[in-house]
Amino acid sequence: MTVAQINREGELVYLRIGRGERRALLQILDRLEPLVDHSHWARPRAYQEEEDEQEFQRLVGTDLADSRAADLAQVRVALESDERILLTSDAAMAWMRALNLLRLALAERLGITADGWEEQYSLQEHRRPPLATLHLLSWVQEGLVEALSVS
Amino acid sequence: MSAFNELAVKETGARLKDNARRDRPWQVVVWNDPVTLMSYVVFVFRRLFGFDLATATRLMLQVHNEGKAVVATEPRERAEVAVAQLHAHGLQATLARE
Repeated sequence: MTVAQINREGELVYLRIGRGERRALLQILDRLEPLVDHSHWARPRAYQEEEDEQEFQRLVGTDLADSRAADLAQVRVALESDERILLTSDAAMAWMRALNLLRLALAERLGITADGWEEQYSLQEHRRPPLATLHLLSWVQEGLVEALSVS
Repeated sequence: MSAFNELAVKETGARLKDNARRDRPWQVVVWNDPVTLMSYVVFVFRRLFGFDLATATRLMLQVHNEGKAVVATEPRERAEVAVAQLHAHGLQATLARE
């Protein structure tokens, strides 16, 4: 399964994907979204000192959780719609952030903790879920980065 | 100097020292993770900090090869905003005193 194309259309980014791909991405979202809140990547620390960290979390912790939920919701709404997926720059950023979260959560579930993990798996393993899921999310995220980088 | 004045001077000195400590610039440090795409990191650095492509790429490679890189040095509040933005984009970032 592949996502067909990600192109720039003027100021917008067009995700040209079929029904099957939308369904597959929604299933991935359904499976991975519950992992996000439990992922240690979703609770980053800003300070080593506990007192400073607690104050920082008091100030921004809720905002971070809310923006994460909003990003994931934005992806879901677009995938569930029958409309063409045309993203503004801000919406494309929300998609990229959401995809990054999903990738981090999946990688954590797979026990990926260090660089060089790609070499630890066979070609067959890379082609099958769950690694294929990770690669698909990477492909979409990379496509969005490239589309937004076109000046 | 009276005991009261002496105490006041000591307290003022301590407060000034505390303010100076707080006002010292803080470093925004980004840490490597094994999953986040390099192209995405470069993109986020450019978007959040206004770096040109060469600077953003150099810093991304420093994160990747050395495990971390200082991407900004700012007064504490601005450094906290930068770290919060990096967290919102899924990057691991911390604050450190310069």
